[in-house]
Amino acid sequence: MEKEFRFIGKETPRKDAGEIVRGKAKFIDDLKLTGMLYGKILRSPHPHALIKEIDASRAKKIDGVKAVLTYKEIPGWRAGLPSHIGVLDRKVRFVGDAVALVAAETEEIAEEALELIDVHYEPLQAVYDVEEAMKPGALQLYTQFPGNVFPLACPWMGPNSLQEVVMGDVEKGFAESDIIVEGTCTYENIPNPLPLESPGVIASWEGPEELTVWSSSQCPYLLKVTLHYAMGRINVRSIAAHCGGSFGTKVMPWHLVFYAAALAKAARKPVKLCYTKAEHFAAFTLRLGSRFSGRVGIKKDGSVMAVSGDWFINAGFCSDAAQGMVAVGCGEVQLMVRCANWNIKPKLVCTNRNASKMVRGYGGQELEAAFIPVLTMALEKAGLDPFEFFKKNYVKPGDGYYWRDGNWWVCRGINYEKVMEKGAEVFGWKDKWKGWLKPTSVSGTKRTGVGVGMHGNADVGEDVSEAYVRLDPDATAVIYSCVSEHGTGQRSSLCKMVAEVLKLPVERISMAPPDSLVNPYEFGPVGSRGTYAIGSAVIRAAEDARQKLLEKSAPLLDTRPEELDTEDGMIFIKGRNDKKIPWKAGIGFDRTCFGYGRFEPDFTVPNFMMIFVEVEVDTETGKIDLRRVVAATDVGQVIDSQSLTNQLHGCLGSAGLDSAIFEESVLDKKLGRILNPNMLDYKWRTFLELPAFDTVILETPFQTHLFKSIGVGEIVTSPAPPAVLMAVSNAIGKRLAEYPLTPDKILRALGKVKENKARSTQ
Amino acid sequence: MSPYFITLIVNNQRYVLEIGNRPGGVKPSHTLAHTLRENLGLTGTKVGCNKGECGACTVLLEGKPVLSCLVLTVECDGKSITTIEGLEDSQTGKLDPIQQSFLESGAFQCGFCTPGMIMSVKALLSSSSSPTDEEIREALSGHYCRCISHYHVLEAVTRALHKSR
Amino acid sequence: MKSFQHVNVFSVEEAVSTLKDCKGSARIIAGGTDILAVLKDQILPDYPEVLVNIKTIPGLEYIREDSSGLKIGPLVKLADLVSSPVVKENLKVLAGAAQTVGTPQIRNVGTVGGNLCQDTRCWYYRYPHSIGGRLLCLRKGSGPCLAATGDNRYHAIFGGRGCFAVCPSDIAVALLALGAEIKTTGARGSRTIPVQDFFNPLGNALEPEEMILEIQVPNPPAEAKQQFLKYTIRKPIDFAIVSVAVLVVMEGEVCSEARIALGAVAPGPLRATEAEGALKGKRLDTTTLEEAAGLAVKEAKPLSMNGYKVEIARALVARALSACL
Repeated sequence: MEKEFRFIGKETPRKDAGEIVRGKAKFIDDLKLTGMLYGKILRSPHPHALIKEIDASRAKKIDGVKAVLTYKEIPGWRAGLPSHIGVLDRKVRFVGDAVALVAAETEEIAEEALELIDVHYEPLQAVYDVEEAMKPGALQLYTQFPGNVFPLACPWMGPNSLQEVVMGDVEKGFAESDIIVEGTCTYENIPNPLPLESPGVIASWEGPEELTVWSSSQCPYLLKVTLHYAMGRINVRSIAAHCGGSFGTKVMPWHLVFYAAALAKAARKPVKLCYTKAEHFAAFTLRLGSRFSGRVGIKKDGSVMAVSGDWFINAGFCSDAAQGMVAVGCGEVQLMVRCANWNIKPKLVCTNRNASKMVRGYGGQELEAAFIPVLTMALEKAGLDPFEFFKKNYVKPGDGYYWRDGNWWVCRGINYEKVMEKGAEVFGWKDKWKGWLKPTSVSGTKRTGVGVGMHGNADVGEDVSEAYVRLDPDATAVIYSCVSEHGTGQRSSLCKMVAEVLKLPVERISMAPPDSLVNPYEFGPVGSRGTYAIGSAVIRAAEDARQKLLEKSAPLLDTRPEELDTEDGMIFIKGRNDKKIPWKAGIGFDRTCFGYGRFEPDFTVPNFMMIFVEVEVDTETGKIDLRRVVAATDVGQVIDSQSLTNQLHGCLGSAGLDSAIFEESVLDKKLGRILNPNMLDYKWRTFLELPAFDTVILETPFQTHLFKSIGVGEIVTSPAPPAVLMAVSNAIGKRLAEYPLTPDKILRALGKVKENKARSTQ
Repeated sequence: MSPYFITLIVNNQRYVLEIGNRPGGVKPSHTLAHTLRENLGLTGTKVGCNKGECGACTVLLEGKPVLSCLVLTVECDGKSITTIEGLEDSQTGKLDPIQQSFLESGAFQCGFCTPGMIMSVKALLSSSSSPTDEEIREALSGHYCRCISHYHVLEAVTRALHKSR
Repeated sequence: MKSFQHVNVFSVEEAVSTLKDCKGSARIIAGGTDILAVLKDQILPDYPEVLVNIKTIPGLEYIREDSSGLKIGPLVKLADLVSSPVVKENLKVLAGAAQTVGTPQIRNVGTVGGNLCQDTRCWYYRYPHSIGGRLLCLRKGSGPCLAATGDNRYHAIFGGRGCFAVCPSDIAVALLALGAEIKTTGARGSRTIPVQDFFNPLGNALEPEEMILEIQVPNPPAEAKQQFLKYTIRKPIDFAIVSVAVLVVMEGEVCSEARIALGAVAPGPLRATEAEGALKGKRLDTTTLEEAAGLAVKEAKPLSMNGYKVEIARALVARALSACL
């Protein structure tokens, strides 16, 4: 079918491009309210302690200090899943936990006041390792979570949210296996997604029960809902600024709102709280720690017969969505490999470090990064090509899987084999793959190796979206959809979709600001749901508005609505050029025309991403150079090619691929402190280390919406870490099972450095 | 300490600032990034790490890219500073060719790093009409972009070079 | 940033007398790229009351050639060092080292003197005060070295007496290989300190009222080949895990002089004299180079987590020497 789109798939500058390149886009720290105060937080030096005494009287006396709060004088708001975190607590649970809050006229004054708060702590034993934390005798972080294990129920995903992968008969599956392997792999380097913009909020009380929040959230409406329940059913208006990167981390920064709102309430003035980069590192969001320990059984032909094991998930000091990530991870692992017999039991554990929360990859990346290296031990034994294995085993149309709601869904998506083949061809997989633990090439001390990864996600159709589209008599249209711009170009892409439906230039489409007061319910742009879920609501709203416009216009043109079409702000009878009326006539000069659209969750169209990587390892120095990346996926229909390729390149960022090479939060387990809370010691990829990067994108129509497309942005990071582990293992001929692959690990694996041969340091 | 005055020339406009400890004024400990954003309202200069590690706050000081979070305002007396707001034509609003190229190439995602990157590219293209690919990457080597828009940024710089030829 | 007073000084004498008048509560600011980060994170228990800006002193930003060698003013910016034709031509290791510092923006303001005086990057030492309070340690005059028993992957594999932090300066490594001297001036007059004596286990030899006046680099032997290599996790904006500067003079097929300086492996830059000795008078074949590289790390005593640095240092020495052939 020849596609005839005016805007969809065409290269058009993003709607906010002008603002961004001019420096006019307003991010949270660019906003100022009259009389606004600045919030600062006193943070715990101990990983686990009770506050025995706290005295803020000296701090309160400083000129310019307008509020000082300790656990003794805070509102009783509570968040977490299940609800377990207040604004402040008498107990602190990680180094950096909030101890006291100050609002002052300037940040400097607030910082000065922090120094004058006297606290006496009773330090408690701290625990950092998941299995240690679960042992009897380990100190409990919360009395309500015995064994430091969180319950796995995730009510907002439904009453039966997925809490494990259990089906079939695992013992039978192993009995029928030709090859059984057993192993453990850890992905516990807790990398930081680290958007450039640190998180920030402004809180302003308009009345005792009315709070306005400006934030850098990517999901302002979801934040409103979260706060409503967490803060005693108050009325929250949530407005999003331009979001300077989120990768999931800024979806619902309720804790920042708690602090700012408590201070604003006490000071009776708006309070801005923007984290410093050190706070962003030490007290915001890390990726989950993940450890898989278990068995995999396969047939010689690569059929997976049985998987069983423990999945230990380290959530840090609290959980607000980790249960959701466990649920989605349990679903995603089934999308990656079809298997009739599963028994994976997750344990979600709290430990005395900064929390792991929502991050791009959302559970699946964490599980698969630890699971795939165990799985591939079996492929190694069987001598199977991992590309062929993934291609054979991923979920195809007609196959089923348990998704996050606990229900069995059958895939009505598309076949990805074509794009996988295409990706392999572009990468040159068949020439470069030399077998397990075999380098692709050797030149002096340098060895190259290749790896492949695969990931799928059925959350592209998750959750509910609502939208309005308003048609104005001047032949413009306004979209009401509570989506903030966080880098994916989503707002702009929605405008293109509406432009296409209304056949109106994109310049004539605008979007209401991301403000929960003016927009209907919107879960938000997460999990690649922007294209399908949000897009569907917006398309339906546009179609609804268009229909109403044509209905109103039909009598004026002496015909029926279905005979009419509209283009460039004119309404006319299809196929005829003689009778045309402008929108103004159809709508009425003093009226507007509203359409409404809603999207209901649909878990039947998973997307998939295959990643190929080539690395070069210097066997003398342990240095890894990422040489080449190919990301292959099928999107049904490209909406905006620049946004799409940008998103795919994103696999190098947001605690994605490089969490296998050098990204890690270094936690000192004596002190409980993150030793690298800065952008020098936390490593990131620069312009001087860019690998050759190819994107392979096919457009096979999906049964989704008008444009037959599907989102893929989120999933590109997920298949990358185990692919890198595979590539490096192949390059050096040693199997690796720990991230990240810093030079010390490489040289140790090569036998060049002995384990812990320490000198005396006295 | 008695207050004194310094002069900054920002985007060709003169600002006389009192240095002292008055609330809302400019203190000796204030960085150029802080002064630009909080006193002059030029919020196009973004603060990412505030410690010289990410490049977001890059402005041109006497034509050279510097990190405005690591420059004290008091030390800029009499100096000329260009920020992202100073690149477009102040009369017509026409974008600088580099801004235009970033726009056309979609050389950003969240856009928080973009102003700083554009300033570094501006300095590069002002001093060299035909930089090599390596020189372009080197000029941008201090800029963090977590969304990974690097590939589109490199395309934008190439596009800007073509425009200037 | 917490408040301080800021004083512009217009002569070296005024700088010294201001430092003296402030009785230890003043610090010098040059490029500011290190000290401002130190102050922002409040890593030290003592916060200065005064910053003495020496950039307003005229005549300290020069690169001058005379018969004995090159004289470099302390305020020369790293970017200018990189682009200086005479440095590029005669002091390849110095240009090479300067090129690897930070990023273009850092090099546009960071100075040579500042690079030599910058504080260590030990992550315990640098831990930000805002996240549960600064960490005290031996280097700060209170308590033991936290790296000794902690995560010491980036710490010293040589030397270290109590404190195992390493000197982060790349410039120092190049200057050591070049046999440079640092001329200083202070309350007790001027002195000239060889680079190897400028650093001590807990910092540098400068007294509180002393500043660098000039860096004096003797002419390297004619025909000397030079190479600087720096091993980092990423290319720009990273401090060395190991760096090495070598200088090799050949007479025909035979090495007549070799200097090897290692960086980021010890409290200061370190000459590998035994390795140098093993090269002198030899033909430099692979075996000789490997042997010298081995000798360069022979005395290394790694901590619990940094044994890999020994291997990297060995490889870098061999590669740098090999690049000089």
